[in-house]
Amino acid sequence: MKPKVAFFDFASCEGCQLAILNCEDILLDILNLVNLVEFREAISEKAPRYDIAFVEGSIHRDEDIERLQNLRSRTTVLVALGACACNGCVQARSNFVAPAVNYEAVYGEDARNRVQVDADFWSLWSHTRVRPLDAVVKVDAYLRGCPVVPAEFLHLVKSMLRGTTPYFPPDAVCVECKKNGNECVLERGETCMGPITWGGCNSICVNNGYVCDGCRGTLPHANIQSHITLMREHNIKDEDIRSRYRLFLGAEPIGRGV
Amino acid sequence: MSYHLATQQNVINWIRGLASENPVYFPEKYGHASYRFAKVEADSEIQFEHYTPTVLPPVKLLIPAREELLSFRKHSDGKTEINPTLDESFRVIAGVRPCDLKGIFLIDLFLKEGVADAHYLARRENTALIGWACTAPCDSRVFCAAVDSLHHSEGADVFITPLKNGDVLLEIKTRLGEKLAAGTDWQPCDDGPAKKVGVVASMQEPFGRTFPVGVQDIFKKVAKNWKSPIWDKHVERCFSCGTCNLVCPTCYCFDVNDDMNLDVTSGNRTRTWDACMLPHFAVVGGGHNFRPDPAARQRHRVKRKFEYLPEKFGHGAVCVGCGRCGRQCTAKIDIYDIILDLINEGERS
Repeated sequence: MKPKVAFFDFASCEGCQLAILNCEDILLDILNLVNLVEFREAISEKAPRYDIAFVEGSIHRDEDIERLQNLRSRTTVLVALGACACNGCVQARSNFVAPAVNYEAVYGEDARNRVQVDADFWSLWSHTRVRPLDAVVKVDAYLRGCPVVPAEFLHLVKSMLRGTTPYFPPDAVCVECKKNGNECVLERGETCMGPITWGGCNSICVNNGYVCDGCRGTLPHANIQSHITLMREHNIKDEDIRSRYRLFLGAEPIGRGV
Repeated sequence: MSYHLATQQNVINWIRGLASENPVYFPEKYGHASYRFAKVEADSEIQFEHYTPTVLPPVKLLIPAREELLSFRKHSDGKTEINPTLDESFRVIAGVRPCDLKGIFLIDLFLKEGVADAHYLARRENTALIGWACTAPCDSRVFCAAVDSLHHSEGADVFITPLKNGDVLLEIKTRLGEKLAAGTDWQPCDDGPAKKVGVVASMQEPFGRTFPVGVQDIFKKVAKNWKSPIWDKHVERCFSCGTCNLVCPTCYCFDVNDDMNLDVTSGNRTRTWDACMLPHFAVVGGGHNFRPDPAARQRHRVKRKFEYLPEKFGHGAVCVGCGRCGRQCTAKIDIYDIILDLINEGERS
């Protein structure tokens, strides 16, 4: 029997689902092998149970928690799809700003005043903590990146079809950077999140002349103290280091620390 | 084996001529301050004397970062078809410095030993090497003279030594070298070896960074240091990113993966570079990790270069002193400093 596959999203731009729809050359072959039962970006059907659920987005509100727990109870495998689901992504920056300040920035002063006095808006206050999926439920596999890497998605799908464990080596971005023969970003006089960031992206940003911003999350063995030293050696102010760490990693210890 | 004299321009024209017939790789400037071995095109700049060690050593052209070893397919009758993938295309790598020639010489030894590596040898046997002697240190980090690789020329098909007057001495070392040099108008030279000795004698002393003791004594020091605070000291800043391994001209470790196609009956086996400084390098079946902490991995790396492989193969240090690992380490860890500390350290067991 073909495995039942479904896609869901929480707070995200849905770009990771689009990245998968963009795998046009293999997408039809994959669809021959799986039974796609829910995919808001592509189809309208619904199903009660899934073999593999791909979940995009970060968790913000209490109702998100309930919905995610419900999903978890109905799927055999839950895959965190993309940076929002894996590590909270850019929206976790809002964890460090008082909600009222955010409301004012987005909706103006009136809105800020109203949410504070009108009880109907109080539920929005739980909007204040952005979390990755694994802060709420067990996650079986992570497809990292902003957006996800099609090759990793394919590896995961093939592994699951074969019944093997997908393997994503816990290597720094530096490994792929060297494999690609790139000049080190530090050699250019710039700083980089590569040494402490999960690889698997084929160092795509550095290949194209940019630096690594750490969208794929901090490695389990990341030497953060050494990275702070490295940033300071490049005369980067502590507040800028903090801002750099909070760009994608606000929900991770590195974003909260420093 | 013969010696010839020519002008530098003559040699550059010769390399351009070779490049019009075969892929020729030569160090090319790129990025902010780096060099890489790149295919020579009609508008490529070719200059021998001034380049720092390339980001990746030339031997990596013979062991690509990702390489298919074989493809397989299971037929409906149950039989499995397996086809090895061998790259037997011809290439020339020119402008190879002595340290990198030593690197290729050592990798030849390692990969011919035991079950020979057919994929490496297919490329290696179809590769011509044109070496270029160094007469001044190319970078402040080099210590090639201290590990005896400065005068290495074995493995080169043609080895070029620049002379004081601006001309060059060409040493044709193999049949392949003779073939490449066919049709050139180089002047035969009767006193080639003497000229080489003259060049070596006029080289600056010390050449690059040096150690207070010789290579054999370094081996002894490294062998006697198993438990030493030095291993911990030099990994305090380590990111375990593997850069030192990946840019090393004598590192050759790889990982093998089978990649199935979506039909689940065919696929290919590929290998990619691996690195002993990566945290999961020594994980075995069942999940045990033999070297879970960076200090143990650093010790292993240094001992491979200065104890295990020198002992096994007897061709001196397996660090060629090119300085790539120290230069490219984002945490500023330099194998030179580690060795210096070990030399100065009291003996421990």
